[in-house]
Amino acid sequence: MMKNDSLFVEMECCQLTKDGQSACGDDFQWERLENENRNIAVLSDGLGSGIKANLLANMTTTMAMKFIRSNMDILQSAETIMDTLPVCEYRKISYATFTIFDMQIGGKTKVIEMGNPPFIHLRHNIEIVPQNQKKLVSERWPDREMTISELRMEVGDRLIACSDGVTQAGLGRREYKFGWQRRGELKFIQDLITREPNISAKDIAQAVAYEALSINKDHKCIDDISCMVIYLRNPRVLRILTGPPFRKENDREFAALALPESGANKVIICGGTTANIVERELRTRVEIDLKLVRFSKGLPPPGKIPGIGTVTEGILTLTRVATDLENDSWEDSPPAAKTIIEQMMDSDVIEFIVGTKVNEAHQDPNLPIDLEIRRNIIKRLQDVLKQKYRKHVTIKYY
Amino acid sequence: MEEQKIKIEICCGTACYMLGAAELLRLENIIPDQWKDAVDISAIPCLEACSSDNLGGAPFVKINGELMSNASVESVCEKIFEIMKTRGGH
Ligand code: FES
Repeated sequence: MMKNDSLFVEMECCQLTKDGQSACGDDFQWERLENENRNIAVLSDGLGSGIKANLLANMTTTMAMKFIRSNMDILQSAETIMDTLPVCEYRKISYATFTIFDMQIGGKTKVIEMGNPPFIHLRHNIEIVPQNQKKLVSERWPDREMTISELRMEVGDRLIACSDGVTQAGLGRREYKFGWQRRGELKFIQDLITREPNISAKDIAQAVAYEALSINKDHKCIDDISCMVIYLRNPRVLRILTGPPFRKENDREFAALALPESGANKVIICGGTTANIVERELRTRVEIDLKLVRFSKGLPPPGKIPGIGTVTEGILTLTRVATDLENDSWEDSPPAAKTIIEQMMDSDVIEFIVGTKVNEAHQDPNLPIDLEIRRNIIKRLQDVLKQKYRKHVTIKYY
Repeated sequence: MEEQKIKIEICCGTACYMLGAAELLRLENIIPDQWKDAVDISAIPCLEACSSDNLGGAPFVKINGELMSNASVESVCEKIFEIMKTRGGH
């Protein structure tokens, strides 16, 4: 997920590999060009399946990415790609399809397609038919036609592209004589959005891929399936308050950052003393559900402050969150860590508000293990959230 | 008039949790059934006793507002029993 101006460009792709193959024959790459405030995503489907197709697709996405990034002429780029790819002995074509989304600041977007099912542009859940579209054919590759569409993305708009493993899902079944088709896919996505208007790009991509799989005969993955979704929207902000402020006179200002009107979509308070400060300054009460103790698995149970957000213990819980994020596994995490991670995953921006007063009790030599210093844990969290989960992270010390 | 419940507040802050509050939080499942209606157990983010030098060691529990240090399931149960006795129950 990436920031575009003050908006967020969420780019996700879900891929399923054809049964019996060790690699997916489709490839997806995305990139944010920080300086230009531009986001590029490419989806390619390589001829055939398995490793060979994977290589073809990967070569295509890599080259396309490079050419687009350097603003090279489109026709020339496509020709270079086709010239480079090995030619299929039977079909005498060098074959890999692609769909490129090139979104610039302000939403000005170019979509370049060759061979993939036509992309879908949704605004308020209605399909927008591209007004500005042209076809390009290379003299050297007359059977490979490219379509170039220019459009403007507005807040809330989505772009969706897929490989033919999606539109041809179900082929061979009586009720899907011609496969699921783009029509079926579009209707499915619109139904999803009707049910959940703010559904994320990731959820749509996954839902489409698995629906395609389930439509296939015997739920077999008969072809590689990929669905790439771009969603332009306001960022979802999670604010985490942890640690008491260095100066007591800042307690009020610090606690006020937990208020719903202070701009965050969700708030988590990590730490007993921190929770006490928020309770005191905002005149609220923490409620901890002791029923969760049975499942607490080594961490104090989470609680909540009604109207504000979640409350957890501090250092132990945040350390566990960092470890689980690093290991990419939180299915069985204790409830306190799990709820934090789930809220992080649902957000684009994570703001840490870190109080820097040292908690004397944490230096107690009787404690069975050494506690990590809060700053270090926050740093670990920042690194993993940025690098592994593409979150935008900010830290403010108090 | 119905007798006031015995209020038990267990700290589940970092220091207390590491030094034994994890056990204490299971108090509700440990105490005898006939006591259950007489006590009101809750968890508190931090009783703020951990940062003082002179209040004793963690874990801390508050029973009817009175701070108990180095609390254990046994010492808390003993205290509950004592209060019940003075009230003339059991
Ligand atoms: S952690 Fe228990 S009193 Fe602070």
